[in-house]
Amino acid sequence: MNASPYHRQITPPPVSRREFLFRAGGGLGGIALASLLSDDSLLAAPALLTSGVLHYPAKAKRVVQLFMAGAASHVDMWDYKPELLKRHGQKWDPGEAVELFQSNLGETFASPWKFNPHGQSGKMLSEIVAPLGDVVDEMAFIHNLVGKSGVHSQATLLQSTGFVLPGFPSMGAWASYGLGSLNENLPAFVVLPDLRGLPSNGQKNWDSGFLPGQHSGTIVRVNAERPIEDLYPPQADYITPGGEIAVLEMLSKLNRTHASERSGDSRLEARIRSYELAAKMQLAVPSALDISGESPAVLESYGINQTTKVWPKEINVEEEADAFGRKCLTARRLLERGVRFVQIWSGNDNGFPRRNWDSHEDIERDHEPLAQGMAQGTAALIKDLRQRGLLEDTIILWTTEFGRMPCAQGGKGRDHNPFVFTNWLCGGGIKGGVTSGESDEWGYKPADRKNSAQVHDVHATVLRLLGLDHTRLTFRHNGIDRRLTDVHGHVLESVLS
Amino acid sequence: MKLLLPLALLSFSAANAADLSGQVPPVANRSIDFLTDIQPIFESRCFECHGPEKQKGGYRLDLAEIALHGGDEHAANIIPGKSAQSPLIHFVAGLEPDNKMPPKGDPLSLEQIGLLRAWIDQGAQWPKGAVAQKSDPLDWWSLRPLQRPALPAGSVPSSNPIDAFIRAKLTEKGLRPSPEADPRTLIRRISIDLVGLLPTPEESDAFVLEAKMDVQSAVEKLTDRLLASPRYGERWARHWLDVVHYGDTHGYDKDKPRPNAWPYRDYVIRSFNADKPYARFIQEQLAGDALFPGTQDGWAGPGFIAAGPWDYIGHAEVPESKVDGKIARVLDRDDMVSTTMNAFCAVTVQCARCHTHKFDPIKQEDYYRLQAVFSALDRTDKTFDVDPDVAQMRQRLEAQRQRLEEQQKALELKRTAQEDERLRLLEKRIAELKQGTGAVERPEFGYHSKIETVPETTKWVQIDLGTAQTLTQVTYTGCHDTFNGIGAGFGFPRRYKVELSDDPQFQTGVRLLEDRTLEDSTNPGVQTQRIDVQGKRGRYIRFTATKLAPRKGDFIFALAEVQAFDSDGHNLALGAKVTSLDSMEAAPRWSRKNLVDGYFYTSKTEPDFAQIALLEKERDGLRTKDAKDPEGTSAKIEQVDRELVATQVALRKLPAPQVAYVGAVHTGKGSFVGTGASGGKPRTIHVLKRGDVRMPMAEVGPGTLPFVPEMESTFSNEPDEPESMRRVALAQWVSDSRNPLTWRTIVNRVWQYHFGHGISDSPSDFGRMGQLPTHPELLDWLASEFRDGGQSLKKLHRLIITSATYRQSSEGDAENQKLDGNNTLLWRMNRRKLEAEAVRDNVLLVAGKLNLEMGGPGYQDFIIDKPNHSPHYEYEHHNVEDPKSHRRSVYRFIVRSQPQPLMTVLDCADPSMSVDKRNETVNALQALSMRNNRLTISMARHFAARLESLAYDPDSQLNAAYGLAFNRRPSELEKSELLPFVKSYGLSSLCRLIFNLNEFSFID
Repeated sequence: MNASPYHRQITPPPVSRREFLFRAGGGLGGIALASLLSDDSLLAAPALLTSGVLHYPAKAKRVVQLFMAGAASHVDMWDYKPELLKRHGQKWDPGEAVELFQSNLGETFASPWKFNPHGQSGKMLSEIVAPLGDVVDEMAFIHNLVGKSGVHSQATLLQSTGFVLPGFPSMGAWASYGLGSLNENLPAFVVLPDLRGLPSNGQKNWDSGFLPGQHSGTIVRVNAERPIEDLYPPQADYITPGGEIAVLEMLSKLNRTHASERSGDSRLEARIRSYELAAKMQLAVPSALDISGESPAVLESYGINQTTKVWPKEINVEEEADAFGRKCLTARRLLERGVRFVQIWSGNDNGFPRRNWDSHEDIERDHEPLAQGMAQGTAALIKDLRQRGLLEDTIILWTTEFGRMPCAQGGKGRDHNPFVFTNWLCGGGIKGGVTSGESDEWGYKPADRKNSAQVHDVHATVLRLLGLDHTRLTFRHNGIDRRLTDVHGHVLESVLS
Repeated sequence: MKLLLPLALLSFSAANAADLSGQVPPVANRSIDFLTDIQPIFESRCFECHGPEKQKGGYRLDLAEIALHGGDEHAANIIPGKSAQSPLIHFVAGLEPDNKMPPKGDPLSLEQIGLLRAWIDQGAQWPKGAVAQKSDPLDWWSLRPLQRPALPAGSVPSSNPIDAFIRAKLTEKGLRPSPEADPRTLIRRISIDLVGLLPTPEESDAFVLEAKMDVQSAVEKLTDRLLASPRYGERWARHWLDVVHYGDTHGYDKDKPRPNAWPYRDYVIRSFNADKPYARFIQEQLAGDALFPGTQDGWAGPGFIAAGPWDYIGHAEVPESKVDGKIARVLDRDDMVSTTMNAFCAVTVQCARCHTHKFDPIKQEDYYRLQAVFSALDRTDKTFDVDPDVAQMRQRLEAQRQRLEEQQKALELKRTAQEDERLRLLEKRIAELKQGTGAVERPEFGYHSKIETVPETTKWVQIDLGTAQTLTQVTYTGCHDTFNGIGAGFGFPRRYKVELSDDPQFQTGVRLLEDRTLEDSTNPGVQTQRIDVQGKRGRYIRFTATKLAPRKGDFIFALAEVQAFDSDGHNLALGAKVTSLDSMEAAPRWSRKNLVDGYFYTSKTEPDFAQIALLEKERDGLRTKDAKDPEGTSAKIEQVDRELVATQVALRKLPAPQVAYVGAVHTGKGSFVGTGASGGKPRTIHVLKRGDVRMPMAEVGPGTLPFVPEMESTFSNEPDEPESMRRVALAQWVSDSRNPLTWRTIVNRVWQYHFGHGISDSPSDFGRMGQLPTHPELLDWLASEFRDGGQSLKKLHRLIITSATYRQSSEGDAENQKLDGNNTLLWRMNRRKLEAEAVRDNVLLVAGKLNLEMGGPGYQDFIIDKPNHSPHYEYEHHNVEDPKSHRRSVYRFIVRSQPQPLMTVLDCADPSMSVDKRNETVNALQALSMRNNRLTISMARHFAARLESLAYDPDSQLNAAYGLAFNRRPSELEKSELLPFVKSYGLSSLCRLIFNLNEFSFID
């Protein structure tokens, strides 16, 4: 077949234990093998490779990506702009033509919420994200991030995959491909979607693109009867617990006979092993997702409702906190068990009534419950990880597709602002309490327009912390050595500890 | 970098040069030969920016006259005899911090600089005719002209040429071919390969018998039978749909359904089954509408252009005038361009969107020329009547409807003019005239054209009197623009003419009323100009300006009023319909209707009683009922209405036309605007610096890649030609027999689907980053055989399948494995892991539930929730027992944002990207789905019921199960294991087990 290392996944090379391990780990050559070997004591193969195969010493092993679908407003949460207060209601004139996505240029619109200083850094946070004040000294803000498009679909893909077109692997898929799994009984990359609906582009945001399929994010529906697709069989008269074991045993027996009659094709052995792994996953997932053993104090800290309750029709803080908190707590449990990358979504598609961050009509109505819910769960997650000693090697990345305008839309809402918005990072290898890059006095564009940050820089930084060089983590597809960062990306040195 | 900025030049005083000379590396101490010592340095280190391809700063080192005498704006970089003073030496020695050369990579070695210095000091001799060896960008395996190579030496003439090429390579590498696979394996392999379905036990038994007598003839017969089956097109269409990334929703935000995508899918199936010559297949997909009008395949083929995703929000909610709208459209065309060039020519042209292709000879201009080919298009619905008689009838009725609607409109306009509007305007004018105390000033100045930059621009405005009228006098009056203080005669043209005709286009029967086109006229100000027309008859009066009136730095045409009087002194133009070439509509001041509103500026100071009397007489006449409709307009309208209704009924009675989603000029109404409004005129395409829509550079016309020296790569389409001619030109270029890529690309794809890997293993990239072919001569032989032998895919399949290479066993061989572990050279057949579609289709087939209904809208194995805004595609709520969803997987309704879970986990193609080769993975989630998916669980039960209907005792049921799933009997060992298993857990558990066995997923 061909000699490219990138195609080994899909060719039938000769049988060898090591080769098989490579496939089963499904990762990038030696790196994946190293992580797999270190965690699989059953396999007696010598640890040929050390962590030295990473491009850099890793500062973190795991990532949580918090994604606010619909575009969360930076100027209403953490990019404090006194200028908006001063000029509230006046004509907004940034001194240049402004192209808005949907509306005409409205008046200058101050945030409806108060900002207060928090932590030693004195970072100004809006009251709707006040719970994050306790951990603000762990966080590094990037206030000068610029996007490439004000269209939700393209902008969401840009944040999740580094490209505005569909078909490219998500950051989580790259991490899974580059680093493999820390626990083969669980998927390396898990997605906790908003159960009310998927964001723009749906599953393209956690797709493996051209990378092998097992690097796709696996959807886990928190609190659902069937949290993972096909984890268990549906009800059927002929399916019994005893039968399940018998089927697996017979499968293994007959498949081994079949394989023994066919030499030179490691896929046959790999497929036998995949059924064993699947069975282990069936055992591992329920305990990973079961939060009933968590103490009431922990549940309360995450904002999880502990009584049976019917939610009101209107969007409300309590319900948002419960939904987001459950995902955060589940994320912690998955991270503890070796899941490499967890993507948590807040906000669904653009249906009505609105349950996402795209507050064209009324910023108070949507942002207050969404932000408060998000802040409570996120703060609890950070504290919980810190207390368990996991924060030091877990990266938390907060993102959204773009920001919102400093002027009003229809008096109470804000239109899209792809010209500047905020991301923040926290955890393993991140210097807390700093800001890398500011927006201008309006929060309209970067203060220093020549030196803005792009999503590629954030991606490069996360990969660096994981020990990977974003220019060297590549996959050949249609004649191009593809990277998460395309041809861009500079590590944001100022946020590294 | 800029070689020698003027500033840098200034710093080169003699004193500076002297100072620097101490810092440059020493001169080589020998005599220098330009060709051997110097030119190689230039070539390897300088030509990238200063050579035959690129000349940064206008400077180049491949031509003596420029190298020795400088670039654009400066003196020489090389001063013969004075190397220490030569700027070139300073640059390469790094003495100019802003102008280090080369700017990237290692600097030149001291030795190289020494050689350059010595050469300059020795007089910078540049032998005449020393032209740099420029490597030919077309000197690459896939770009060389396609010629049929000779068969390898010593091959048996009667043998299959494929085997000759493959065996020669095996022998060369010391590999042994594998023995032929057993007949049962062969029929399973060939059936899955050609039709994607397992053979029935009966087919398999018959074949095994036949093959024992004459395997060659048995294989040939089987191949012919399978190729003739409609199942063949269904199987092979799916491969092509992977490459064109076909889907049934738009993708991106909202991911709305695309209900009319399927005619293209059916077209592909039909084309494979019909074994259409490949050139025709290409032409139909790129320009079928233009090349084969009135045919179903010509209509549906351009679904190719529209097959990929579409950003609904970026097109429908963001107009083309905004940056985000522009980005969406550039990316949309990028998908059309890349799909075309990837699929047909295996060129990664999309790499040249932002910069010159880094590896292949493709410039940004080439790429944007391809965008210009598609620039009139959008993805949109087009209708078609399959029955040509119906098509003809519809055309006739549509024309009739259009004519009647126009008549109706004109008549109604006339009735309105006769009645209310005319009366209203008369009353108003009479009142004004009665005031009579001074200049009447109203803001309705008149008609105003669009603004031009040159005076010699022709513009017209015309008045429709409703029907042909006999006229005695026509008057026209200039404007008085008090608003801008310009005053009388504002915008009155320098040259003009007035004409009368019954033809609204003024092509026929034109009577010239006044001609002032030959020389400039003086501006008459607001004085009304009168033409005595002496009873000429006509319906339309056209006022044409041939030289516009000057304003401050630009030119316009404006006119306050036109009147047309009959012999009774009635102004028939009052309130008539006005059209014009263009108009600056800025109500109330400027509007077409101001031209016939009865008002124009006048400086009269006394009431014009004669005029008032005339107008009052007309008004009174209008008020009497008889006079209201002197020509029986109402009766005519009724007649037209009746005919119109009859026509509409007839149209509705025709069978509904089919609708296909294709690449075409979008003419629909609504927020998404295509080029239909401008008559399908292609959008202007510029080269975009770094691919950024905010940085347009030179405009480019349509064209293609400069890969076929005998064919022009810029198309000669005229700007006013229909846009489709651009696509015709591209289709002709792609399908031309001289195109070196097209034929190699398709045979390589076919080879890949048969063997698991292509002769070149990057089937959509034959460029320098792609994989070199393992058997280049075989590829060329197959490509020329295919091209020159009727372009029949079925013939190609037959050739491949009947080869000994294809019929080899897939069993390993320790010796061969050591030499060629990946089986690159095909010393055995590759074992095939079934694709997602084949797994599902065969689960259904074996269970006896496969529904072979062909064509039409795809089956939906989901429930759509919230269809109107952002549809949710809920697979978990689909009823897996619904027989409509038991059709072959190629008929699945493919959702882009929420892909089908089972198919996705089994590595089906992602419709968001062109898939030239599917990923093939083995992982735990696949195992979970095969075991637990509702479809496999349900089909296992159906499979069991089928077995019960076929046989009564467990032994025979087990035999039947193995016959259906594996075309063999279970071994004694298997029997001894499985019979007790069935006894304990039931037949359904056995069937579920069978679906999960490796033997079910892999075909030897």
